[in-house]
Amino acid sequence: MKKYIGERIKRNEDPRLLTGQALFVDDVDLPGMLYAAFLRSDYAHARLISIDVSEALQRPGVVAVYTAEIMGDEWQPGPANVSPPPTVENITFHSRTQLPLAKGKVRHVGEPIAVVVAESRYIAEDALEDILIEFEPLEVVADIEKALDPEAPLVHDDLDSNLAAYMVQDKGDYQAAKTKADVIIKRRIEIDRGAAAAMENRGIVANWEARSQHLTVWDTTQAPIPIRNGVASRLGLNQTQVRVIAPYIGGGFGPKMMMHYPEEIMIPWLSVKLGRPVKWIEDRRENFFGTTQERSQVHDAEILLSNEGKILGISHKFLHDSGAYDPYGLTIPLNTESHAAGAYDVPNYHSELTVVFTNKMYTSPIRGAGRPQGIFLVERLLDIAARELGIDPLEIRLRNLIPPEAFPYDREIIDQAFALLTFDSGNYKPAIEMAAEKIGYEQFIKEEGPRLRAEGHTVGIGIIPFVETTGVGPYEGARVNIEPSGKVTVATGVGTQGQGHFTSFAQIVAEQLGVPVSDIDLVTGDSADFHWGTGTFASRGAVVAGNAIHASASIVRGKVLKLASKLLNAPEEELELEDGFVRVADLPRLSISLGDLAAEANPLRGAVEPGTEPGLEATAYFGPKSGATAFGVHAMIIEVDQETLMVEIKRYVVVEDCGTVLNPLILDGQVHGGVAMGIGNSYYEQLIFDENAQLLNASFADYLIPTACEIPNIEVAHFVTPSPLNPLGTKGAGEAGAIPVPALFAQALENAFADVGLEILEMPLSPNRLFELLQEKVSQP
Amino acid sequence: MKIEGEYLFDGPREVVWEIVRDPDILATALPGTQSLEKISENEYQGEMQVRIGPVGGLFSGRVVISDEIPPESLTMTVEGKGKPGFVKGTGFIKLSPAENSKTQMQYQGDLEVGGRLASVGQRMMDSVSKSLLKQGLDSLNQALLARVSSAESGEVVDYEAPSEAQFAASVAKDMASDALASRKVWWIGAAVVLLIIILVIVILSQG
Repeated sequence: MKKYIGERIKRNEDPRLLTGQALFVDDVDLPGMLYAAFLRSDYAHARLISIDVSEALQRPGVVAVYTAEIMGDEWQPGPANVSPPPTVENITFHSRTQLPLAKGKVRHVGEPIAVVVAESRYIAEDALEDILIEFEPLEVVADIEKALDPEAPLVHDDLDSNLAAYMVQDKGDYQAAKTKADVIIKRRIEIDRGAAAAMENRGIVANWEARSQHLTVWDTTQAPIPIRNGVASRLGLNQTQVRVIAPYIGGGFGPKMMMHYPEEIMIPWLSVKLGRPVKWIEDRRENFFGTTQERSQVHDAEILLSNEGKILGISHKFLHDSGAYDPYGLTIPLNTESHAAGAYDVPNYHSELTVVFTNKMYTSPIRGAGRPQGIFLVERLLDIAARELGIDPLEIRLRNLIPPEAFPYDREIIDQAFALLTFDSGNYKPAIEMAAEKIGYEQFIKEEGPRLRAEGHTVGIGIIPFVETTGVGPYEGARVNIEPSGKVTVATGVGTQGQGHFTSFAQIVAEQLGVPVSDIDLVTGDSADFHWGTGTFASRGAVVAGNAIHASASIVRGKVLKLASKLLNAPEEELELEDGFVRVADLPRLSISLGDLAAEANPLRGAVEPGTEPGLEATAYFGPKSGATAFGVHAMIIEVDQETLMVEIKRYVVVEDCGTVLNPLILDGQVHGGVAMGIGNSYYEQLIFDENAQLLNASFADYLIPTACEIPNIEVAHFVTPSPLNPLGTKGAGEAGAIPVPALFAQALENAFADVGLEILEMPLSPNRLFELLQEKVSQP
Repeated sequence: MKIEGEYLFDGPREVVWEIVRDPDILATALPGTQSLEKISENEYQGEMQVRIGPVGGLFSGRVVISDEIPPESLTMTVEGKGKPGFVKGTGFIKLSPAENSKTQMQYQGDLEVGGRLASVGQRMMDSVSKSLLKQGLDSLNQALLARVSSAESGEVVDYEAPSEAQFAASVAKDMASDALASRKVWWIGAAVVLLIIILVIVILSQG
């Protein structure tokens, strides 16, 4: 039988995307459409004394202006995206969710205060300037570490402090282990904020049709089904009265998983209120203020080791900056906890997470979602330990890896899905050796590195293994149907933002039904086609939706075989599905096309047998008991320009183990994108706030994202350890590429500047910051 | 943003004080000021056109003078708001007599800037504000010289405040020299020269 899974097949969706035929939210253009613009706060923290919209209402072309006040009883805070872990004892969690429009006071720069709806976006934007607001500026909580000072101003006046959450997790007995440690290393590690900077900003179009009492919403969301459910609930409609379409989207990366942004509630509400279609497209500046950000954390970290370099324990107390609200619960800091012991067997672990409110845009996961911070922490500590113990950095890692016989390996803490974290499977050592071999680790350390340095080059090498918890539940579903034309239609509730779902999911179906991938039409993220699901996040598409599609396709295969066996008068075991036909294996002339079979399964006369269903269609769901844990190794060789301190990546090697590979071409692309993002996180992208929480680089002129020129040729190799938790054996890979890069950058830079004893405890870096760190080393060696 | 510096006025302290406290002169000397009215002894209200890089617009604001010790020192509280954002800050000015009946001004201020001015104009903020301050103080000094020389000669010497265009040109010049001072962007200068040569050639060839 022909194989489809694992084949390097070109993407089904590319012709449409490349010829401009794909629908994006901004392409939606409806008769009578109105345009919304939001008035956003220039202040990070200020009381709203008065808002006067009368002049704006007088501007020709303005249809309506709303503030929280004018919304009256229909104003209510947004629903929480993720609730706090119910399974943990002694947890403090104060849920404060985002508001559709600010009321009483503003809590971050960019918080929407009023919305203008007008005949054009130009008029709407002009009318924003007609709105007069009297602010009373308040003291600002800008610094994550000062947020808990007793004198700090309060982001939420009804709370005693800016503490949003506090939680402790323990494995083993860290304090007891500390008394037995030969070496204790203690460091403060800081990671700062960045933006996801997707190519497409957010956008929403809502169209309420009064005659059919039906609302259609086009939304750049990663979670179309939950958005539909939330919008229906907010507007008092049945779920069936609301259709949410997440069409083609120019990049998600996490922030589009944040559910019920103010605009996501306001635009549908306005359409119902005004009885006309309403459109809002975020501009790039708004994106810097109104779309979630991530990564700022400060860790006081400690590692315990024996003289042989064996890890005895890891502990870290850390602050996580949630921004002005905390709708995404503890997902990010819990992910950090899940990854702060990396790929290593760590017998004792202690972690204390403290989440604080600040007057900044609220946070939600961005590709990696707390994992890069965890990996950065453990890998930094290990590099410092290796130096202190005189062990090679690669060697100290090999000594601590979770051995293959230890799987399933219990971390004994809970993860972001509030379940006990278990690494389902893995075989780490050979994958690391594969990466070391490919980059020429030994050879670089012994010969090439010293030779290049002798010639005056500043070169360094790094190699970092990492784990990634992927594919969490609760579930996804899919429907697979064979059409009388012989084409197969597939619908699933997850949205797609460039992951190649139209192809990789089609391959799963093709494998079962023997239909060319180009004959499989997939619909993702349209609640009219499939209305159960949670969304595209946590590297779960290939695992959860993939296995739901596999389950549906398997049922359809069963139906095909049963009916064909009857019609061809041959036992099911002798039938094979290939090229859109069911054939009797030994008598290929005895065959029927899948299309004809589908027509036979839906007769116009006669009777459908009791207990059967018409057509060749099936709907099935998949919900994993727990997530699958992927593994990978990144290695690189860099050269640093001694004058500018710009880093040139000479070679970049990735060995990725995400279980069964559906399409290596697409997977390589995912990894490339992740690495590019990780490079941004390491050496380019940082959101700079001043002491009043004003963002100082809210444009692509000042916020640097690496371009094609800065991204090296990335060599990707695959190592396959299938997950035992799902029939396909898949593990997620969407976020993998970004996770180890900051740790890798730090290691390679330290290797390059080993002569001055450079130590890196922060991310992101930049040439400027590296210069400062080197100056510090030179002035106080 | 912190602002700190010194300036040497070519005239005696009492006259400098008079000028600093004269809203009409202040209005002409502060670049972009469209109006500045005295609404009470220590309070001024006015409008000012501000442009920092790509961000520009009209600010309306209030200046309050406090802790005044004539002719020695004063504290100035500024609050401005407009389309491009807001500015809020306090400044402390101290005048001390210097040699040759000159006056040394020391100033320090803390400025909070928000909105588009902060988020998009940041890159230019430092050099533009330094330049604006320098131009403003130079203008005040010109006004001072005019006043001193009329007092000496008994004739009225007109002080002509620089136009907004002159201010803009000076700011641009300051920023360019800032940029050119750094070795890494020498090519900007080269590019400008090249551009001018190309333009000249184009114009000549059309003529």
